[in-house]
Amino acid sequence: MSSGPRIVCLGINYRTTPVELRERLAFPEATLPDANRQVQSLPAFSESVIVSTCNRVEIYAAHENERAHHQLIDYLVKHFQLAPDQAEALVCYKLDDDEAARHLFRVVSGLDSMVLGETEIFGQVKQAYKTALESGTTSRLLNKLVQRAFSVGKLVREKTAIQRGSTSVGSVAVDLAGKIFDLKTCRVMLIGAGEMARTCAQSLLSRGAQSIIVSNRSHDRALELAAEFKGTAMKFDEWEHALHEVDIVISSTSAPHFVVKPELVQKVMRQRRGHPLFLIDIAVPRDIDPAVNDLEDVYVYDIDALSAIAEDGRRERERQLALCEQLIEEQLVKFGITTPP
Amino acid sequence: MDRMLLILSTFAFGGAVVQALVSLKAGTWKESRWHWVPMLIGLLFQTAFLYLRGQDHGRCPLTNLFEVFIFIGWAIVLLYFLVGTTYRLSLLGVFTAPMIALLQALALVSSLDQSVPRARTAPNAWLEMHAAISLIAYAAFAMACVTGIMYLVQERLLKRHRIHGLFYQLPPIHELGKAIQRLTITGSLLLSVGLAASIPLHLPISNPKLVFAWTVWFMYLGVNLIIWRRMLSARQTAWLAVVSFIVPLVSVGIVTRA
Repeated sequence: MSSGPRIVCLGINYRTTPVELRERLAFPEATLPDANRQVQSLPAFSESVIVSTCNRVEIYAAHENERAHHQLIDYLVKHFQLAPDQAEALVCYKLDDDEAARHLFRVVSGLDSMVLGETEIFGQVKQAYKTALESGTTSRLLNKLVQRAFSVGKLVREKTAIQRGSTSVGSVAVDLAGKIFDLKTCRVMLIGAGEMARTCAQSLLSRGAQSIIVSNRSHDRALELAAEFKGTAMKFDEWEHALHEVDIVISSTSAPHFVVKPELVQKVMRQRRGHPLFLIDIAVPRDIDPAVNDLEDVYVYDIDALSAIAEDGRRERERQLALCEQLIEEQLVKFGITTPP
Repeated sequence: MDRMLLILSTFAFGGAVVQALVSLKAGTWKESRWHWVPMLIGLLFQTAFLYLRGQDHGRCPLTNLFEVFIFIGWAIVLLYFLVGTTYRLSLLGVFTAPMIALLQALALVSSLDQSVPRARTAPNAWLEMHAAISLIAYAAFAMACVTGIMYLVQERLLKRHRIHGLFYQLPPIHELGKAIQRLTITGSLLLSVGLAASIPLHLPISNPKLVFAWTVWFMYLGVNLIIWRRMLSARQTAWLAVVSFIVPLVSVGIVTRA
């Protein structure tokens, strides 16, 4: 890759640039075809693929321009009409040829993501490439590079456990729920309306949970949250009567004592006739008596248990990192790149 | 020749176990059609074995306990392909393969394969149908048992908060619960057909084979009722599917020796 057209990657991401500037530099989806064509038409540039997500904006381009980095920075400044102080504050990474290829392989494999090993980026790069392809701004060099990157991304996913496990409390809750129920038929109840409970509920709903009931000491807050989730608000002294109708309970009250006790759940389980119940206790001090976990078909997870699983997930992914890097290096060699990182 | 086919089949199932254990240990197990390949190879060799035996006997190859075991093993793998595909339970193969490999290995090293040379008689279609369908029904009960074990493992991991390795590979308990229910119903329906096929045989009511078959039928009728009426917790239902299989398992041994 040393003679003829070269590849450049110029980008910003969550590590280099604060969100205030990242959002300023994000390319709206509808403008991407034009933006790709504008980059392609820069002097001595021949190909362009722009990847624009909430965590990164990267321009991959093929060129024969000695000042490619400057050209691209000037383009960004002009395109987004950055003020001189903003242009001054712009910190980009500039990678050429082998380094650009290595970076793209890592990005597509989720190794450069905020959540290590996440897969959304694969689809986002795929979409970016499709847009560029349809805009006619890719040719031999970038087609070959990006398509190889997709193969590498798939290989990393298949050969390693980089995506295994969950790395946040919300995603742990969703994963656990998914191993107990078909989420699409699940009804969720929030007892208390803390921020973490809200996040968990949001994760469950985004993965298809059917409906939500919110019960809180402040009924106004319950109404507010129920409206946000298009759910139902319930008076705090009524939630016990609806417990048998829900599959997942997220409890986060500030009560100094247990709110959910074995006697209550035992009664509820008789009504549920063999349908499991998943109780998530996010409160400190705890809301759910740990003895409830001893009941048949009831699964109780408190904040420590969820955090420990998330921590395990993060550690597991970090353990897989070396294997992924090794795989990527092997693929780079097969791609004709022998420069060490 | 036919025993060689069975040895190859046993190696294929053994290979399926090794492949699964290696990828599970490395944490790289994923739902994939490739996990079915050794199982499919094993099934093909089993089928070839049964075909040759059938040709040899001029009837369904169920002339001794050895052949009965192989036939049940064949039916279990066949059902695995049906159920595994339906429920995306490719890991079910990991639990099924060792059972088949063990069953076949034990059958091969034992002295069970001692068919007394018999004069070739015209096969009785009703008898063959009764025996074959009843054994396929038993295979469905065996699969319910394996699925029950998977449920109990997954349930224990969930209860004990052991969220790693195998937990991510095992299917959700709601899918396993559904699979148990469908397998016991499938087994019961097949056994009903098998028993219906025995009516034209005019066997005496005290015939031990019939007594055992009806015992199994009534027992699984009870199991299905319990599951349908949700009389037990989901965990107890899984236990029921596991423990119930002891009856058909024992009855096959006794009936075939009778």
